Amino acid sequence: MSRESVERLAAPSLLIAVLVIWQIATAFAHPDFILSPWEIARHVVEALWSGELLPHVGASLARSLPGFVFGSLIGVVLGLLAGVARSLDQLLSPVVFLTYPVPKIVFLPIVMLWVGIGDVSKIAVIALACFYPCFINAYYGARGTSTIMVWSGLNMGARPSQTFRKIVIPSALPLVFAGLRVSLALSFILLFSTEMINARSGLGFLIRQSESSLRFDLMYVAIVAVAALGYAGDQLLLLVRRYVLAWQEAIR
Amino acid sequence: MSVRWSDTAAAFRRMALLVVGVLAWETAARSGLFSPLIVPSVTRIGYQLWLLATQPDSIVEACYSLARALGGFALAAVVGFALGVLMGRSAPVAAALGPFFSGTYPVPKIALFPIFIYLFGIGSLSKVLLIFLECLYPIVITTQAGGRAVNRVLVWSAANMGASRARILRSIVVPATAPFIFAGFRIALPIAMIVVIITEMISSADGLGYLAMYALASFKTDRMLAIVVVIALIGIALDRLVVHLRDRLVFWERLDSYYAE
Repeated sequence: MSRESVERLAAPSLLIAVLVIWQIATAFAHPDFILSPWEIARHVVEALWSGELLPHVGASLARSLPGFVFGSLIGVVLGLLAGVARSLDQLLSPVVFLTYPVPKIVFLPIVMLWVGIGDVSKIAVIALACFYPCFINAYYGARGTSTIMVWSGLNMGARPSQTFRKIVIPSALPLVFAGLRVSLALSFILLFSTEMINARSGLGFLIRQSESSLRFDLMYVAIVAVAALGYAGDQLLLLVRRYVLAWQEAIR
Repeated sequence: MSVRWSDTAAAFRRMALLVVGVLAWETAARSGLFSPLIVPSVTRIGYQLWLLATQPDSIVEACYSLARALGGFALAAVVGFALGVLMGRSAPVAAALGPFFSGTYPVPKIALFPIFIYLFGIGSLSKVLLIFLECLYPIVITTQAGGRAVNRVLVWSAANMGASRARILRSIVVPATAPFIFAGFRIALPIAMIVVIITEMISSADGLGYLAMYALASFKTDRMLAIVVVIALIGIALDRLVVHLRDRLVFWERLDSYYAE
């Protein structure tokens, strides 16, 4: 076999090997909370049909999507503006960069106290967490705009708004997408942790509830659903990026 | 001169902003519009901060959180560095493990926490291992990118001058990858703090996350806000520490880790 085909087969064969070893290992005596891959797959299909899973997926998405959209939208807009306008930069950037390493989940108790224990508090915390990577990446993206391009645009009579729209935004887009990708992953982490801490619905709640009622089949189903959601969201974002940044991919 | 003046002006404006924020909070708290349960005054939060800083019990709780976060992070740093360099420098290893890392990167590992509790118990071990898992990804991915970006002329020159593979790894690959490794550390350390607080909020009887939830459940909002301030300060201090270490060790090149891949 050629070197390329060995490298292409390496990852799938590793995955299959792990699954087979896992399946064989569960044939022997094992604790109840470990299920074989085959059983997990069977339970996933069953839960999809029985309607035990889909309402929770809907509840989770209804929390994570608004949070992600609000947080990243505000982050991208403010980040781009702070990258261009010096006064806004001096006002916002120090605050954002200082509070960036603060784990945003600590604000959940405060937000819960102010806006109640319901979905709004979760959406607010998710939005807050999504804001930071988007702001920082959009900020650096806008600041990294080639000065010559801006000068050329201004020289050819472009208004500041045109320069912003036609030069700054396109050159910041690759980093904006990098920020969006980080934010999306963060939004799922925050979603499941807020749901594990307190919720009456959603996948995080399902994991906690099935765990404490020893329904391990349902717990694994929820974990698989979490993984599938995170993966699907990421792939969707990459697809959009490939479409929006077609010009950049072509250069590579 | 003018540069320095604008710097001090910016610093002054920042301080002014902070003072205005604190004053606005204090007036809101004292205006009587909000219950002190919702918006406790700054002086009460400050008093609770003083209590937190002086009570040995609360310092022990902070040490629990810190030990878990740093333990998981250190484990991830060692394993992530080794895996990242291997994946960056060896095509077969990258082909075998790369799809695994990029495929499971967007999956929130926190969902595995209940299984971890069953496997490793409800104590510190399950939390440390979850922190390890979450921190591993950014470190592996940035280190791999750094390992790939090593200038191949340097590697060829060293090989040409008779350096062994181990010597090339030690004298060229590791120093050239170091800026990327620190970039990964700087992404991973806040994640370690997030995960330790989350896991302590979900299930724990110690640590700062537990303390915050306990204060909330007993309606001690001032205490809870003081704990939030402490957690925030720890997060900022750890980040400063990594930046300081990076500036000392990797003085020749600085990679801004805020560019997350």
